[in-house]
Amino acid sequence: MSFKDEMLCSKSHEYVVKQGDNYVIGLTDYAVEQLGDIVFLELPSAGDSFNKGETFANVESVKAASEIYMPISGEIIEVNDSLVDAPEKLNQDCYENGWLVKVKFSGNDDDFGDLLNYEDYKKEVE
Amino acid sequence: MVKETYLHDEHVKLGAKMVDFAGWHMPVQYSSIIEEHKTVRENAGLFDVSHMGEVFVSGFDATEFLNSIVPQNIDKLDYEKAVYCQLTNKNGGLVDDLIIYKIGIEQYLIICNASRVEDDLNWFSINSNGYDVKIDNQSHNYSLLALQGPKAVNIMKKLGYTIEGQKSFTIKSGKIAGIKMLISRTGYTGEDGFELLIENRYASELWNKILESGEEFGIKPIGLGARDTLRLEASLHLYGNDLDENTTPIEAGLSWSVPKDKTINYNGKDVIFNQIKNGVDKKLIGLVMEDKNIARHGYEVYFNDEKIGVVTSGCVSPTTGKNIALAYVKNLEQMKPDTIIQVMIREKLHNAKIVKRPFIEKRNRV
Repeated sequence: MSFKDEMLCSKSHEYVVKQGDNYVIGLTDYAVEQLGDIVFLELPSAGDSFNKGETFANVESVKAASEIYMPISGEIIEVNDSLVDAPEKLNQDCYENGWLVKVKFSGNDDDFGDLLNYEDYKKEVE
Repeated sequence: MVKETYLHDEHVKLGAKMVDFAGWHMPVQYSSIIEEHKTVRENAGLFDVSHMGEVFVSGFDATEFLNSIVPQNIDKLDYEKAVYCQLTNKNGGLVDDLIIYKIGIEQYLIICNASRVEDDLNWFSINSNGYDVKIDNQSHNYSLLALQGPKAVNIMKKLGYTIEGQKSFTIKSGKIAGIKMLISRTGYTGEDGFELLIENRYASELWNKILESGEEFGIKPIGLGARDTLRLEASLHLYGNDLDENTTPIEAGLSWSVPKDKTINYNGKDVIFNQIKNGVDKKLIGLVMEDKNIARHGYEVYFNDEKIGVVTSGCVSPTTGKNIALAYVKNLEQMKPDTIIQVMIREKLHNAKIVKRPFIEKRNRV
């Protein structure tokens, strides 16, 4: 299984992929490529809860600062802390090792209504 | 309508990420800003800066005219020499910042910012009343390439150019690969280097020739992204960020480019000389963040819980790994190196230390 086959993407470039009972959230490779050299990442803490669409993290490339939004509602249960000290790792891999957070879903089916599969997402953004 | 330089196709061929900048479709990066930045600091980089404006000023009163619109002493500028200066308004604020090159008797070349060409021409025109002077905007006819970095000299030599005797801030006419051009030893990176002004039709040929000759010296094409981080490390101002119509050269820390002995009048001279004598209310400082947060253009600056200013440029310094910034602050007594102040980033205050500029040690210059 690869992330790209399984994941759903938001138009603001976050992906979400189901893993067991929970979901893994990160930034798409397209987003990472557009950002360029990533030099700063601010992630939430486990236990924080966010609604779909809320800012849960911040990323900065050499060029600019960007907010990262929750593609679905949920409670943060795990944070990829290793990225905070080495945010440049995101430029190499934003999936297997470069996911941002894992969440316990707290929304409803509507949360997925505007998310696209990778193929459609790529068509949308390119 | 977004304009394209004559090198647009070369950038696309090289896989550049293109962005709109000052009305031009320009390469922001080819590979990675950090990588490109380091290439210029360690080897050499080639920039397309054809978006910049080229205005030729000539005529019986050319020297007198220019001397009446900038703080620098243009009457003291020697043939084939260049000078950095500002185009001031009545309040001492900046219409633009420029490099003026003396290329003949009563003949000058002015390189100005892409975003300011029209405003500059308008200001030249308003101020040229009564002067016998011809102002000729040739921006659309010329391409400008910048070759920058410690290996720039090696590459120019390999291209057959004789550098001997051409010091920093000078300009000569010369030929590379049979192409006639104006070659100045100037730049916007803090490194040694050259800027080459050529007719548009030769731009691609020269671009490829330089990349080819520079290969053994590790040359790379460099986008505007690295141009910005390079200039900021060297603490070179960017018009629109660090300079504008409401900022004087004294407030901007450019007093070194304002002669105190100038007797000729120019726009805003009274304001500028008053600031030299009595001090300024706001001034430009350099900052290094104490944590990993990056201060960006427009972020507020605080001291003792009071808002005292605003960040005008900020980025991670690829050379030092630290997060650096320029900011305008109230000219309080404490606003000197080593004082800790705060920058508001995402609704939280983050400590930053005031440091001397530039942010990197002075590079090998000639």
